[in-house]
Amino acid sequence: MTQATDTPSTAPKSRFAKFWDSDFAWAFRHSPVAIIAALVVLLLVLAAVFAPLIAPHNPFDPATLNLMNGFTAPGTPNAFTQETFLLGTDDQGRDVFSTILYGLRISLFVGASAVFLAMIIGVILGLVAAYFGGWAETIIMRIADVQLTFPAILVAMLIFGVAKGFTPPEYRDEMAIWVLIVAIALSDWVQFARVVRGAALVEKNKEYVQAARLIGRGSIPIMFRHILPNVLSPVLVIATISLALAIIAEATLSFLGVGAPPTQPSLGTLIRVGQGFLFSGEWWILFFPACTLLGLALSVNLLGDWLRDALNPKLR
Amino acid sequence: MRLRSSAVGLALLLAGTAQAAEFKWASTTDPQTMDPHAVNSAPVLGFLNNVYEGLVRRGKDMNVEPALAVSWEPIGNGEGWRFKLREGVTFHDGSSFDAQDVLFSYQRASNEVSDTRSWFAPVSDVKVVDDYTVDFMTSAPNPLFPSSIANWMIMDQGWAEANNAALPDKEAGNFATINANGTGAFQVTAREPGLRTVLEPFGGWWDEVEHNIERAEFTPIQNPATAVAALMSGDVDLINPVPIQDAARLKSSDGVEVIQGIEARVIMLGFGHEAETLKYAADVGKPNPFRDVRVRQAVASAINVPAILATIMRGNAEEASQLVSPAMSGYSAANAARPAFDAEKAKALLTEAGYSDGFSFGLKCPNDRYLNDEAVCQAVVGMLAQVGITAELDAMPVRNYWPELREDNYDMYLLGWSPGTFDAEHPLRFLVTTPNAEKKLGSWNFGGFSNTRVDELLPMIQSEIDPGKRQMMLDETTQIIQDEQVYVPLYVQPLVWGARSNVTLTQRPDNFFILRWVTVS
Repeated sequence: MTQATDTPSTAPKSRFAKFWDSDFAWAFRHSPVAIIAALVVLLLVLAAVFAPLIAPHNPFDPATLNLMNGFTAPGTPNAFTQETFLLGTDDQGRDVFSTILYGLRISLFVGASAVFLAMIIGVILGLVAAYFGGWAETIIMRIADVQLTFPAILVAMLIFGVAKGFTPPEYRDEMAIWVLIVAIALSDWVQFARVVRGAALVEKNKEYVQAARLIGRGSIPIMFRHILPNVLSPVLVIATISLALAIIAEATLSFLGVGAPPTQPSLGTLIRVGQGFLFSGEWWILFFPACTLLGLALSVNLLGDWLRDALNPKLR
Repeated sequence: MRLRSSAVGLALLLAGTAQAAEFKWASTTDPQTMDPHAVNSAPVLGFLNNVYEGLVRRGKDMNVEPALAVSWEPIGNGEGWRFKLREGVTFHDGSSFDAQDVLFSYQRASNEVSDTRSWFAPVSDVKVVDDYTVDFMTSAPNPLFPSSIANWMIMDQGWAEANNAALPDKEAGNFATINANGTGAFQVTAREPGLRTVLEPFGGWWDEVEHNIERAEFTPIQNPATAVAALMSGDVDLINPVPIQDAARLKSSDGVEVIQGIEARVIMLGFGHEAETLKYAADVGKPNPFRDVRVRQAVASAINVPAILATIMRGNAEEASQLVSPAMSGYSAANAARPAFDAEKAKALLTEAGYSDGFSFGLKCPNDRYLNDEAVCQAVVGMLAQVGITAELDAMPVRNYWPELREDNYDMYLLGWSPGTFDAEHPLRFLVTTPNAEKKLGSWNFGGFSNTRVDELLPMIQSEIDPGKRQMMLDETTQIIQDEQVYVPLYVQPLVWGARSNVTLTQRPDNFFILRWVTVS
């Protein structure tokens, strides 16, 4: 065959080849920003997933810490113990590199779970509002409007504080991460609900929905099997951008001292601890976690931006 | 030439001191209340020492000197003390001070709802002799009584009663919680809890004015790094404390001075002695291991205090062997040794006590009260983990911390204690003797430790006049406290303040910031 590679061939293609030839993949291959951002995200996710294998220490196990290693500068041996650490140590003698890897795990886990939860809540409420209309729509969308008038971080802090008050003290540490996820999700679902409702309002009057109704399908199958797949692409865009926001929200809450417990630091907690040593010259305790957070949030954001452009037919 | 320039310098200095100035200072902790009888803690009493006054006060060298009393003398053979009051003193609202206010303040401060109740444990009765003479009768001879009430502040009876604040209210608060009416050198002109408190000089003050402040503003800045930045940029004139790690840098920067000393405060770990069961973490509900002295001794051996001092405190603190620092009177030199760091011994003690597999428990810690308190607690968690016991750390601001301790919501906790009397008897009375509300004893003995010999010795120590015999009894109690490992003393906290170079001040070892000794040039 002397066909050019980009002309469609008649032979059946594998799934991967189909994807590779799609407009979406084509746009990705031709956007250096998207490629770099995706690589950074992939690298950080892999580093987080394989943290126990990569990290020289387990910073969450207090039994392995040696306080005398505290405040070791990056790459130079400690004055007392002669141990050397790639990115230095913090005030407790924790290896900063290991702590970043483990902190990344918490940040990514909290961020992704919160967005996932927010997406489920937002999509369901958005679909219900659009499909049923009437008082359901009024109630859901007015709650959303009210919530939008508060800064998301304030809502998250409020939910976190109330939830912490209700959890029995002996479970507080174990519950902290889950409470954090719920708090961020509940402060973030509005975006999803509004976008889904907007898209679903258009979809619900299209012929295929009316046809489905005519043959007697129930409301729930119509909502989730017919309308939902057609409104998913904006949801995907929002989810990506929300991921960056959720990671930053988690970092902000932990920075303010209301998030992850100090013995299980996330990136925000590390930055909070490091901030206390900025004047005294131990810059590495703050610098490296902050760079990691910056890299992660920036890459996810760039990826989200690119995704929005790629999925928007009007911009092509 | 040199002479002339120094003369000009002197003239400038004089001109500077004569000028009235505005002064701003910051600390990590806001005084929780403006009520001098509601909370017995250094941030509250230290702040209110600028506003209220007692019968006696402490001078720059910590010596007791006359304040609202001009003189005092023992009655008979040690049955009590007679105080002659100062005449012509007025409160900030203009009403005059007399013996009725002293009696009222005694009743208010020794009431069951007052946190200062235990100061009056030795007092059996207070009698007003005439308008300017008051007798304090003590149940036993009490040579230290006048110096033990230096922080007991006098409130105006008429003002308190007119504003429904005849009794302090620790929890809900009342008029006296946010308003103040003392006889001191400064009056509170604005109070926004947690935000700012404004003080202005009281024109009718009885004593000679030494300061040149016309308005002073206190701001709590919880984040130490923010406070350092505020000091360096000149937003505040003084911060207390300076984070230990920043002291070196501040010393070398222009326009800022670091004022350093050793505080009277000993930082220690406390236990639930009375609690039947553990309250936190995975082993909640299981029998409380800290009732066993071997477990408490294991904790003492497991903690590497030199490592904490070398890293977290950067060599700025000293190890503590007992509940008071060597600078206090009554310090037991015979018991100056602290259990050495020995992880193997700690493990052996735990095995002996039947905890070879360890256990988990909750450690409560303040995060804005003592220097690097949270970091020290984290280090303690690590050191305990190394001998096999798991501490779950719960660090919180001090305004939530004391209520938690009072409700016994802890298995182990961190406490700093600075004896208000500068004597070793003080922590015995507050921290060690069996809690007894009626006798006003043991009010900060949260864990409920109880030892009959200590209870027996305390009144004897309080009434003993011969220093040698007194010291022998103090040595004995210190020995008991060490043998029983009632607390695990860690270190004596350093005192580090930072001030702009144009500020002249006096730093007292009780960490009280006394505004009337400040001049700004």
